[in-house]
Formats: sequence, C-alpha cells, structure tokens
Amino acid sequence: MNKRNELFRMSLPFLAVLIVSLVCSGAEKTVAIKGGTVLTMAGKTIPNGIVLIKGDKIQAVGDDVRIPAEAVVVDAAGKYVMPGIIDAMTYFGVRPFDLNDPSNPVTPQNRIIQAYYPFGQFMKGQGGIEPDKEILSGGVTTVYIAPGDRQVIGGQGAVVKTCGPNFDRLILREPASIDMAIGDPPKAALGESAKSPVTRMSIAALIRKSLIDAQEYDRSQKAYDAKPEEEKKKSPRPPRDLGNEALAKLLNREIPARIESDLPDDLRTAIRIAEEFNFNLVIDSGLTAYLLKDELAKKKIPAVLGPTSHPFVSGGEVSSTPELLRVMDERNAAILAKAGVKIAIASFGFGFGGFGDAVQGKWLLLEAGLATGFDLPDEEALKAVTINPAQILGVADRVGSLEPGKDADVIILDGYPLNVKTWVEKVFVNGELVFTKE
Amino acid sequence: MKTHRLTSGRMILFLLLLSVGLWSSPGSRPFILKGAVVYPATGPKIENATILIENGKIAAVGPGINIPSGAQVIDVSGKVIIPGLIDIHSHLGFFDADLNEFPQPIGPENRALDALYLDSPDWAEAVKGGVVTLVTGPGSGERIGGQSITIKTFGADLTRRILKEAGEVKMAVNARNLSHIQAIRTTLLKAREYMETWERYEAGDKKEQPPKRDLGLDALVKVLKGEERVRCHAHFANDMLTFLKLKDEFGFGLTFEHSTEAFKIADEIAKRGVGCVCLPLVMRIPLNEDLMRGNAILGEAGVKIAFHTDHPVTQEKWLRLCALMSMRYGLSEEAALKAMTINPAELAMISHRVGSIEKGKDADLVVLNGPWQELRSRVDRVYVDGVLAYDRAKEEIHP
Repeated sequence: MNKRNELFRMSLPFLAVLIVSLVCSGAEKTVAIKGGTVLTMAGKTIPNGIVLIKGDKIQAVGDDVRIPAEAVVVDAAGKYVMPGIIDAMTYFGVRPFDLNDPSNPVTPQNRIIQAYYPFGQFMKGQGGIEPDKEILSGGVTTVYIAPGDRQVIGGQGAVVKTCGPNFDRLILREPASIDMAIGDPPKAALGESAKSPVTRMSIAALIRKSLIDAQEYDRSQKAYDAKPEEEKKKSPRPPRDLGNEALAKLLNREIPARIESDLPDDLRTAIRIAEEFNFNLVIDSGLTAYLLKDELAKKKIPAVLGPTSHPFVSGGEVSSTPELLRVMDERNAAILAKAGVKIAIASFGFGFGGFGDAVQGKWLLLEAGLATGFDLPDEEALKAVTINPAQILGVADRVGSLEPGKDADVIILDGYPLNVKTWVEKVFVNGELVFTKE
Repeated sequence: MKTHRLTSGRMILFLLLLSVGLWSSPGSRPFILKGAVVYPATGPKIENATILIENGKIAAVGPGINIPSGAQVIDVSGKVIIPGLIDIHSHLGFFDADLNEFPQPIGPENRALDALYLDSPDWAEAVKGGVVTLVTGPGSGERIGGQSITIKTFGADLTRRILKEAGEVKMAVNARNLSHIQAIRTTLLKAREYMETWERYEAGDKKEQPPKRDLGLDALVKVLKGEERVRCHAHFANDMLTFLKLKDEFGFGLTFEHSTEAFKIADEIAKRGVGCVCLPLVMRIPLNEDLMRGNAILGEAGVKIAFHTDHPVTQEKWLRLCALMSMRYGLSEEAALKAMTINPAELAMISHRVGSIEKGKDADLVVLNGPWQELRSRVDRVYVDGVLAYDRAKEEIHP
C-alpha cells in the first residue's frame, strides 16, 4: 500500500510533464542537439550525446535518446555541449551610481532588481528585452546581481537570466539574499564621511543592531498574526518596515546573507555573526578563505570567489593592502574545493547598457581555466561556474546542469571549455537560440 | 652520548651539503639547463635544448652544445623555457600617492627612481609570474609626467638590477583639453632652443658663462637627440594622430602607451615605425570584442607591439595572460611571444641585454611546467641574471 502510494507520488511529476507536453505539443518547439561531448554537470560526461529540448525545458539527455521526427536537429559533432554559465556575483545591468546609497550604511530594504536594465543600450534599440551580446558570447545565461559593497548592508540581491521574453521571465529568484560587506570596502567608503561606522568594530556592531531590530520586528509581526481575528480587528497591525521585513527573511532562513570579506579575521567575524543570529551565510570574494577551509567545510558555508586574474575585487589595489598579499594564495579555490567547501568562481564584473559592456563575465570560463593552473581539478573548475553557483544561489531546480525538467539553457562550444582558444558558438536560453557566433 | 655523536655527524654532513649547495648555486659557477623546449623569441623553438649559463649570462644555447667540465647540470626535461618577460609600462614599486605630481603639469625632471619602493611585496609577486624586466614610472595625470626607470624585478646588486636609471619621458595626451597638446609642444620648442644654446656654447670658445642647466630640458634634449624615447599615454585615435604630427615636427622616438584605438590608424603608426604598448588584455579590463582584436590588426600592419599590465591596474604577474588573450583574438603565437619579450626590449632600447634567449644576453629565464600558450601552465622557476629568483617547489608552503 505504502509502496504504491510512493510510486504514485514519484510518478506525479512525470505525469505532470506528460500532461503539459500533451497539451502544449502543438505550440512547443523540439530541438535536438546531437553528436557533441555533453558535460551534463550532473555527474556524467556523455561522448556523442543528445540533448533533447522541448519548449523551454530539457526533456532528455543521453546517448540513446530517441529524436522525434518534428525535432530541429543541431549538429554538435566534434563540439562540447554544457549548461549555460552562471556568474554568481556581478553588478551586471546596473548603472554604477545605482549600486550604493552613500547616505546610509544600512539599507536592507533596497532591491537591486529595481535597478536592473536589460533593454540594451540607453535610448537605442528595437524594444523589449535586448540581451547583451557580449555576455552571451561568453555563454553566460544566469547572473546574480547585487548592490555594491560600499555599504554595510547594501540590500537584496537577485538571480536573473541574461535574456528572456519579458522582464518578469528574467527573474529566477528575488530577493535571493541580503548583501553585506565588512572589512576594507565599506571602511574605505564610509571612512570618507564623518559618520559612524568607520571601524571594523563599529561595522560589526551595526550589523548586530540591525539584526536585533529585525528580530524584534519579526516577533511583533508574528505575535500580531497569531492573535485571534477578533483582537486583530480591534488593534492595528504594528507598522510595517521594509528593511526589517527583508532582514526577517534572513533570520527565518528563507534567504542567505552574502557577506563580502577577504582578510581571515573579517571572515571569522562574518561566521561569528551568522552563528549568533543563526542565518545562512555565503562568503563573497574570500581571498584568504583557504585558511579557514576546515571550518567552512564543517559548517557548510559556501564561498563565491573572485577571478584569479583580478583577485582584488573588494579591497582596492594590492599596493594598498600588502597584508592581504602576504596571506593570499592563488590556490585558494583548489584548497577549498579539496577540503569539501562548495565554491563558485564569479566575475564581480559590471556592465550596463553599452557603457563598460558586460565583458568581464564573458570570460568566466577562462577564469575557471586559469584556476586549473593553480591545482583546481577540471571537473571542479567547470562546476564552479555551473552547478555550484546554481546551488549556492538556490536555483539548482531550474539551472546549472543538463537534466530532464530543467530550463533549456544550453551552450555549444567549439572545443574544450577550459582552453583559452575555445569559443562559445551557440547559446540557448529557455530553449530559444539567442546567440550564434559570427 | 652515542646519539649526540650521531647528531653531530649528521650536522657535519648537513653543513657539507649546504656548503656544496652554496658553492654550486647558480651565478657563481657555470650551469646548464638541459632537456626543455626552449622558445628563444628571436628564432624557432628548440626541442630538447641545452642552455649554458656563465656569470649570469647566456653562454650558449642550442640542441647540441659543448658543456664545459664542472658545469652543474640541471635537468628540466618536460619543461618549457621562455625569456624573462618584459613589461615596459608598469607602475610597480610606486605608492599610489607618488604617481602623479598633479599641481605640476610639466615635470620632465621628475625621476621614478626617487619614488621607488624597493621593499614592496609586489616585486616578488612579479617574479612569480615570470616578469623580470620593467619600465616603471610616473602616471598619466600630467602632460609631461617625468622619467621612468628600467629595472629588473629581482637582484640584490642595484647597479646590475637597474638597466637604465632615468631617461624615457612619460607624456600624456587626452582629448579632454585642447591646451594639453600645446603645453607639450611649447615645452619641446623650449627644449630645442635650449639644446641649440648648448650646442652654440660647446662649439664656441667657452669663454663666457655656460648656459644654466635645466634638468627637465636636459631630459627632453636626450629625447630630441634620439637617445631616449617619448612614452605617450593615448587612448583616442585622433590624439594619437596629433602626437604623430608632433613626432614628425620634432623627430623623437615614440611609443604609444595603452594604444586603445591604435588599430584604427595602424598604417599611420606603422609607416613611422612607432611602437605600441597595448592594452592589458586580461579578464579584468572591460574591453569589447572590437578592441580585443586590435592587437592582431596592429601586428598585421607591421606595428611593433608590446603588452603591458599597467600594474596595479592588473597585477604584474599576469603579463603572460595578455599574450594568451591576444592569441585568442587572432594574434599569432610567434607575435604574442615577441610582444612580451624581444619587442618591449627593442622599444625600450635594452635588447642588447634582455628580451631573448641568445648568447651574450642576461640569463633571465622562465621555466614553465607546460606550454606557455596554455592557461593551465604555471611558472616553476625564474632565473634572473643566472640566479634562481623563484622556485615554486620551495615557495609553496601552504596546504
């Protein structure tokens, strides 16, 4: 009896897929990418494999997938096929002056999605979403966008696709996290004003104070919700506060905090605060994270690392941070991965409407390739720009690997993905061919 | 007691080994690097090559050379050797606040050496990336920023480490302000008058007072005489054309620095034999696809190009990445290697000492664990003047 129930439950999603595909089969396009080496990023590599796309989803992946007669066949013989690249930390599509609010070090209410501009070049274009060709040329199909690191609590980040039929369809997760920064970046920015906080002590104290405020707020809201309807009618709801509302999501572990920090002691501060308030933590940048590898592994704290070729994503230039230079190690990613820490390699790049162009993210695969020169195994390097960031960003049910049921975000490359001379030839997002290399 | 004796015995053995080690350390006695694939940069690659190093110089290189008896043999088979890399546009060794003398727009007398921070940890980092020789100097905040220094990234003996104490004059043109170029031209005219005044004095009977020395104009006279070159910071094609006209007028040696849009006027640049120090093409710098192809266009037009990191814009150690990225965007492998070795050496007029693996040149060598053309290859060892300046096996202490 039990078993039958379970079987039934397990078959539900398949039934759902079947029904949906039956209903939609008239309108849905079927594409079969055939003959390439398929790096599924779900544990196996399939030489001479087939990726079958139906509508906007992947229907099947394997070497003996039956290709329906109506399918458009894309020949990928001699090529590599893998999921779209995911850049787990960018300022992509946001005007630089929209990144930070210099008047206030704590703005958890701010949402970066409201500064996201996916409409091509300012005052140009044909209308609708205009994907950035530069970033698509690197095979990047999903990005995390964040408020800047010049505040202590900058606001709420979002996970978006780099193209889609309309604005709402771009959004995979929002809010995806609360973005914070401790250590040198906020210090450099805040130190210029005469207002607190200007020291590490005061920055940490400010985060704690904000979280205690949010705890208090959350308690009073929940207490009100728990009241009988009779009483609710008599007394008004405690006033809403958008900042505390956002931080409450963090405290209730609905979303994690992304805390940008580099020096070992800043990392320890981040971990300390996360434990005090029992929220999920993701380390951003983490140049010296390898020094805490066992702790991070044990506590299952992932790290979104910056590009090896430009490690100083947060702390200005190396000449101003010699202490960082003394302890950093280019094998950071490799050491962390070996210790069992989930890592992503991200660009921390920007790009807005033709200004600056989204061009750091487009070389993310090359950054992964560079990391293999510093002991990171190829498999880990590829995971660090696909399935790992998908999991860290909480969108692995949709993207990050080639598996049936996931979004059909697929790229075809003309060679091994981690070679410097390899180019992305085709990019599919939601099953649509959105980029072809000239 | 027995244990103690054993320990002292070991100690003596250790000291003996140590002294042998010291005696045989490169630089003091001839040694050979044997078995690697060598890319001399000025000629085709040599498989299974032997390089003989004597007194810090390359004494011989080839597939089969005579090895003097007593030479230490270092087996580097399976490795790849390229010349010590050269970056002729860097700001390494400067505190940020020392780069630009902003209140003084014309300052050719300013010398990089006087601001150099030799204890910066950046020097050792550069060595780790195989970068051995730098032209490092003032920023681009002034019209004439001052004189750069040409220096190696490693070496206790400064007289050997510094290739050129001063000389090359950094200038900057930016389309921001029409007066900029006129300020440079006025100064060059003044330098020419100064030069002629001195020439008249030297040719005369020298009975009257010599003309008063002006250190800034002295530097520019060297430029006018072709003994030194002008390093001109430029991004826009029209600014570069303007500066080419200035070169036509005064006849100085010139390299463009950054050369962002140089590819748009590649023929004009090639025709005048002007070198281009090209944008740092590492992943950090936001360049679009058109710009990324610029280096290949310049190379095809016959312009001598050199890569730069513009440290600290990108870290010095990633110079090799510039070559890899240029190759991705169409530059030939041969041209890419030259653009970080012999080309910068020639542009900086130091090719008699560095820039290639040839007999008589400084033994500046980079040993990699795989093809230099690949992302995953790493620098294993770096020799500077025949001294082992970096050894990965010894440097890596972390887990």
